[in-house]
Amino acid sequence: MSEQAKTILVLGVGNILMHDEGLGVRAVEHLAENYEFSPNVELMDGGAGGLRLADELTSHDCVVVVDAVMNGGQPGDLYRLEGDDLKLSLTFKQSMHETDLLETMACCEIIGHRPNCVVLGMEPLNIEGWSLELTEPCAAALPGLIVRVLDEIRALGGEVRPKAPVPA
Amino acid sequence: MAGCKPKTAPVTPVGNYTGKVVVDPINRIEGHLRIEVEVENGRVKNAWSSSQLFRGLEIILKGRDPRDAKHFTQRACGVCTHVHALASTRMVENAVGVDKRIPALGVAMRNLLLGAQFLHDHIVHFYHLHALDWVDVVNALSANPKKAADFVNSAGLGHRKHTEAELKAVQDRLKKFVDGGQLGIFANAYFLKPHAAYKLGPELNLVATAHYLEALKLQILPSRMMAIIGGKNPHTQALYEGGITSYDAITKDKFKLFKDLYKQTMDFVLNTYVPDVLAVAPHYLDWGGIGGTTNFLSCGEFPSNEGDLNSRYLPAGAIYKRDIANPKPFDPNKIAEHVKFSWYEAGAPLHPFKGETKPKYVEAKDMSKYSWMKAPRYDGGAFEVGPLAQTLVAFAKGHKETVGLVSMVLKHLGVGPEALFSTLGRTAARCIQTVVIGKEMQAWMDNVDKMLAKGDDTLLAKWDMPDTGQGVGFVDAPRGVLSHWINIKGKKIENIQLVVPSTWNLGPRDDKGVLGPVEEALVGTPVFDPKRPVEVLRTVHSYDPCIACGVHIIDPKTNEVYKFKVC
Repeated sequence: MSEQAKTILVLGVGNILMHDEGLGVRAVEHLAENYEFSPNVELMDGGAGGLRLADELTSHDCVVVVDAVMNGGQPGDLYRLEGDDLKLSLTFKQSMHETDLLETMACCEIIGHRPNCVVLGMEPLNIEGWSLELTEPCAAALPGLIVRVLDEIRALGGEVRPKAPVPA
Repeated sequence: MAGCKPKTAPVTPVGNYTGKVVVDPINRIEGHLRIEVEVENGRVKNAWSSSQLFRGLEIILKGRDPRDAKHFTQRACGVCTHVHALASTRMVENAVGVDKRIPALGVAMRNLLLGAQFLHDHIVHFYHLHALDWVDVVNALSANPKKAADFVNSAGLGHRKHTEAELKAVQDRLKKFVDGGQLGIFANAYFLKPHAAYKLGPELNLVATAHYLEALKLQILPSRMMAIIGGKNPHTQALYEGGITSYDAITKDKFKLFKDLYKQTMDFVLNTYVPDVLAVAPHYLDWGGIGGTTNFLSCGEFPSNEGDLNSRYLPAGAIYKRDIANPKPFDPNKIAEHVKFSWYEAGAPLHPFKGETKPKYVEAKDMSKYSWMKAPRYDGGAFEVGPLAQTLVAFAKGHKETVGLVSMVLKHLGVGPEALFSTLGRTAARCIQTVVIGKEMQAWMDNVDKMLAKGDDTLLAKWDMPDTGQGVGFVDAPRGVLSHWINIKGKKIENIQLVVPSTWNLGPRDDKGVLGPVEEALVGTPVFDPKRPVEVLRTVHSYDPCIACGVHIIDPKTNEVYKFKVC
């Protein structure tokens, strides 16, 4: 890894208490358990935090957000959202959360450093009931999402390798 | 300076509208809150506060290890994560009997962690969740930056010095946002077209906007303070029943970093936040008579002994019927939750130890059932909780630092203590509380240094899980009295109940039909333009509502223009 390697924050967000709402956090947990990364890559469970994430967001060059994304597709469908599209959406957003992640990104820009941001998302099935488990279609699609996150990390200049299995 | 102080007593305009106004959802808060008011001749005559989301966290906690509770409850929401973890931790400590044995160092570190949360929450609330109700950002574009700098530098309110160039730069940036249609965080604000209820001159609007932007950056510092002691933020991981596991935070370098961040944060509080409140308040002095309630409750906060509510630095107590001459002691047995107007199975008011969570939704257009919140009551009455309640209790009990600051603010505004019972009083009290807590944090840090110097580095007490037990954890959080209640059976959670600040304040009517505090506070509020009821928002936002749902979804459906690529 060169000295100039971009720092990459892989940020899983969502509420793990509400089924697929927590799929971003679950994806990051899976990455932490099964892979090793070069020092320029940081994994973070962002939970449902909004403005409190500004510290981490402004201190990285690139952010890969992993989150549930509602786009009217089939549960488990994967999406990729890029910087300019996200930025555009801010102007028109009527979210019920005024302090959520997109808003926090806008704040980062005002603070002076808006990281290069990509969102990798999945269409959720259930984000309302209380459960720690992902629904079946989302659990089934999680490995595919993981592959895309790993590809994204590599494309941004991060190094990834599977963890050696723990000897029995 | 001319233009920066009101020449005549401010009066918020009253319209002539009669009819209903619904604000759904209320923006700039966490969670989905719907406020419905009935307006008659431009004033609110009746109000309904309704939570549209069911919060059934209690249900998935049954049967789990009591120590797991803190990790679940703090995930209910993205804003007040740590205070839920603390309430759950205290609840279990109380149930297993370790609460009186928490090591002094552990207590001090916990107080510093919670203190950092207060600094963060109150700064973010004043600037980012509440200021846009009072400050017209667009109007700041027509300010004269030199006049604005002169005002700040000569007003004698304690502001740090500003330069014309600094304020001009803010104005230029702002112009870029507005011209580019990239209003971002200001989108949906009511001042995008001029509104008669906004009273600040362009110069003060510019100064306040500059500080809004400055606070965005500053808030990172107290957030980092929380991460140092809490291990991470959001969702702190350091609390454990018996104390705290912040071994890293008590190392010399880390604790020094915490102290440096504290110093920078307090510089902002004392040289920007306090002077801003003093500068803005005179323009909205009539709000010292709008938005008040009757009864106030505090459970106290920042203990020296975790097992004794009376050891808390900010005192616990209850004020009935605004009688600040006679504060009463706080008695946890007087709490009960009513469900007559809530979407739960009917039943008598229950103390939280006997509390039930049996949801039952019915559509009721006559508002006979209208909220997922229960209605918590104290001694049968509706009590406001939060910074105003805590400040009133402390003031009534002669808490020296609080009395000094309250008296200073009242003198500056030329009003008596009766003005505290209002929306303006609530917003001023939050600032006063920030200073009181912030200053006391210095004493806790000194205390930590002393203990560490003596070689006392015990953060955690040992204990055993009993087969059965019952306990409660009280936190007087930035939003007010928070309590978690547990029954333990077979070493597992048999029942758990959460009574949260926003339920106290934003809950519906009780069994006797008495309005909840926010509902009561809204009655009498002027509404000039029913399509842009900023006056309603002022009072609702002054409670810093957070109704803990934690739903966190990027929803491109709401954006017609928005298109993104499918993998």
